Amino acid sequence: MVTCLGDVFYPEVGEKIVRLLRGLGVTVEFPAGQTCCGLPLFNSGYHAAAAAVARRTIGLFRDAEQVVVPSGSCAWMVKHEYPGLMTDPADRTAAERLAGRTHELSQFLVRRLGRRRFRSAVGGRLTYHDSCHLLRGLHESESPRALLRDLSGSQFVELPGSDECCGFGGSFAVRLPEVSTAILDKKLASVEATGADAVVACDAGCLMQMRGGLSRRGSRVRALHLAEVLAPEETPR
Amino acid sequence: MSESEPATPFRERAGQALRDSFLQEALTIATTKFIGLRREAFDEFPEGEALRDRAREIKEATLQRLDHYLDRLIDNVERRGGHVHYATTSEEARGIVLDIARRTGARTAVKSKSMATEEIHLNDALEAAGVTPIETDLGEYIIQLAHERPSHIIAPAIHKTKGQVAELFARELKRETVADPEVLTRIAREELREKFLQADLGISGANFGVADTGTIVLVTNEGNGRMVTSLPRVHVAVMGVEKVIPSMTDLAVFLAILAKSATGQKLSVYTSLVDGPRRGGELEGPEEFHLVLLDNGRIRQIAGPLREALSCLRCGACLNVCPVYRQIGGHAYGYTYPGPIGILLTAMLNGTESVKDLAHASSLCGACLEACPVRIDIPRMLIELRKDVSERRIAPWSERVVFGALGRLLQHPALYRVAARLARLVQRPFVRGDVIRRVPLVFSDWTRTRDLPPIAARTFQERWAELERAGRR
Amino acid sequence: MTSRAEFFDRIRAEMGRTRELAPMAPSVRPARPRERLDVLRRELSERWRENLQRFQHEFERVGGVFHRVPDVREASEAVARIASERGVRRVVAWHAGALGLDVVAPLTTRGFEAVAAPDAEVAGNERERRRALAAAADLGVTGADLAVAETGSLVVVSGAGRPRSASLLPACHVAVFDREVLVESLVQAGLVLEAWHDGTAPPWRGASINVITGPSRTADIELTLTRGVHGPREVHAVFVEQGLALRRV
Repeated sequence: MVTCLGDVFYPEVGEKIVRLLRGLGVTVEFPAGQTCCGLPLFNSGYHAAAAAVARRTIGLFRDAEQVVVPSGSCAWMVKHEYPGLMTDPADRTAAERLAGRTHELSQFLVRRLGRRRFRSAVGGRLTYHDSCHLLRGLHESESPRALLRDLSGSQFVELPGSDECCGFGGSFAVRLPEVSTAILDKKLASVEATGADAVVACDAGCLMQMRGGLSRRGSRVRALHLAEVLAPEETPR
Repeated sequence: MSESEPATPFRERAGQALRDSFLQEALTIATTKFIGLRREAFDEFPEGEALRDRAREIKEATLQRLDHYLDRLIDNVERRGGHVHYATTSEEARGIVLDIARRTGARTAVKSKSMATEEIHLNDALEAAGVTPIETDLGEYIIQLAHERPSHIIAPAIHKTKGQVAELFARELKRETVADPEVLTRIAREELREKFLQADLGISGANFGVADTGTIVLVTNEGNGRMVTSLPRVHVAVMGVEKVIPSMTDLAVFLAILAKSATGQKLSVYTSLVDGPRRGGELEGPEEFHLVLLDNGRIRQIAGPLREALSCLRCGACLNVCPVYRQIGGHAYGYTYPGPIGILLTAMLNGTESVKDLAHASSLCGACLEACPVRIDIPRMLIELRKDVSERRIAPWSERVVFGALGRLLQHPALYRVAARLARLVQRPFVRGDVIRRVPLVFSDWTRTRDLPPIAARTFQERWAELERAGRR
Repeated sequence: MTSRAEFFDRIRAEMGRTRELAPMAPSVRPARPRERLDVLRRELSERWRENLQRFQHEFERVGGVFHRVPDVREASEAVARIASERGVRRVVAWHAGALGLDVVAPLTTRGFEAVAAPDAEVAGNERERRRALAAAADLGVTGADLAVAETGSLVVVSGAGRPRSASLLPACHVAVFDREVLVESLVQAGLVLEAWHDGTAPPWRGASINVITGPSRTADIELTLTRGVHGPREVHAVFVEQGLALRRV
């Protein structure tokens, strides 16, 4: 599942994930016609539309063995909210099946494939921001850290307040832009204080927010998706 | 409608708060401190997690038989000589208290900290009726002198500097003083000691009402709760109906987690159990005890979408961790109860309409749910409120158009692709290198402070055909 | 004005509209709390030394001052010492029958103005006078009906001869207690509270129970901790090894 932000703004992240997974011997398929998991509609209270998008998405992935998602928020939407949005019992069963087969990227690599050691694609010092949905929705804070700590060719440093929101929150970022920016400024100050060369995250929303702020203030610190940091194996094992 | 809508829009109030540099600093220091204290307290309390689950269960169990437990509470309070009153609205609650004050000839009333009495705007009503209300919790005393409302559920004067407090005391109390918290505390102690000893009426809230025994429980740190419930001749406790709990055994569960969640203390300094009026030959204690049971929108939520919010212990933990509250403080919310739970309580008291903007004052990060001692799923209920707003069509017309379009787009891949291509065209004049620095209209609110990535020259879906071929090789 | 019946009609109507929920249960109450408490006390009497140690640790952590004395005579000495160290002049105390010792005589001998609470109901103007005495006092001496080791808390129950003001109005509060009142945890304190409310209370029992955990405090001004806001600035706990003979709650 490439996600709407991933498809439209960060296609290179999607490409890197495909290469990464192929390097690990995984056969990657991509059901055509994906749009979005529906989270923006859901979070703003447009649940009928969200349910329609969800139903469509469930249908698209009907034949998938496992579904890998580059964003914790989208994975959360599928795993936690899809079943509840379905009123029809058959739809609900299909939603639950999909939920059981869906994984955020770092969870897929570490927990399903058991892979933690990768070469770093970037080098330097890396720090990690816990995206809210991945951390609190999917209870995942270990897998990304395991990957980042075990990277050869870069060092990992913990980010104080890593569990604090970056201020994206979807439409929140444009409904209350001043508050969203104030929260972001706080986050970026922490990031810069670590002396890291890049902050890594597992969510396109967080990346859009942090990258947007870092770029605006002319910072040398980069905001990278996890997939941009893990170098793919050249040949499958 | 219990509270009237604030005059300025929320976004503007939030903006003002963001520009207040002292408030910003105070909020950062206070919330960071509370977060740390809470974390330390629970780190050394491994039973804490299980107790939080227990606490939630007890609250839910109580709601499931609310009539039974309230019945028992009332019977026991009356058996001990207390009087129970029933207030459906704020207005009624005010009327009941004024009536008691009038009947007992009270001229001054000392109050210990009570969000319930804030909620019903009791002080204004007392003053209008010629009864002088005196707040005795130091933070509340300060804001009362300043003619302000509390900005945090448990630290009401968090937004004031010691210099401001000193000036306030000098002006309102006509006392020369210095900006030293010790000295200022001493002044407050002296001023208020006299008031406690002379007051005719003591007004408190109640953290818990124990059904089994008819006991009202007050949790405080300063001692004013004890004063208010022991020295004046008449004591009135205003208690939301949801504060009832079944037994003393249950009380121990809540006491184990309440202060830890609020301030990191194992227990607050004074946990006061009030078993009705003075008796047994004791020297102090009120001759009359009144319990005012308050509905004010709570009862409707028993079967409502905000039912879970009835479990709230008013500890303030969610305020301290909320990224929005931490930036804007309590006053910006504009109603009695600020912060994450405050949005839900405001909806409970004043209806969904009152929170059509506030329901979006959240990035849905979930820190509140994580911190809540009774595990209230605040983010879920915020989304429910947003859903209510969208279904009732109270959101602004422009928003409904945008989301309507988005909904259609996301259900039709062909439309989605067209939209992406259009956007790619339209963005061209705004792209500088690999970022967009300014766009008009919809996303201008983003680009004022942040760069935007441009829409990719080829989306992932447009690249897939190649990627797929590469994979087969 | 809403009547009790109208109020409950609304509550029951709303309860009736609730969708099906997984049933939940509150805490299991002990069926015979007083018996359970007797059993608990016997068990605790074997662990009193560790519990006292824990109590002292937690009590000091919240700013209390702990003293340990062998007997009631030394207990009075300790009170007198605390009083003179703090330049105290006036002392109010619980009645000797509630304390298990007489502090008034030893304190008076040493030149303090000491008054104990009466053991029974007195008239309104006498109560007023006593209240003024307590408000003017520098030190209050009380017993403790429970000492909770987990939190370092002292629990005082009001009643005849055990006024609330003694632990509230003077700037210094001294509580005298023995091993009988030690409990380990809040859970056990919950059992005690159940037992105390089980059945009819004795006629001299008052209407107030206070769990006191350290001196009065606030951090309302710039989060700076200050002590002695409305309640006492200092709390002392004097443990009497030999035990105290007093009328227990």
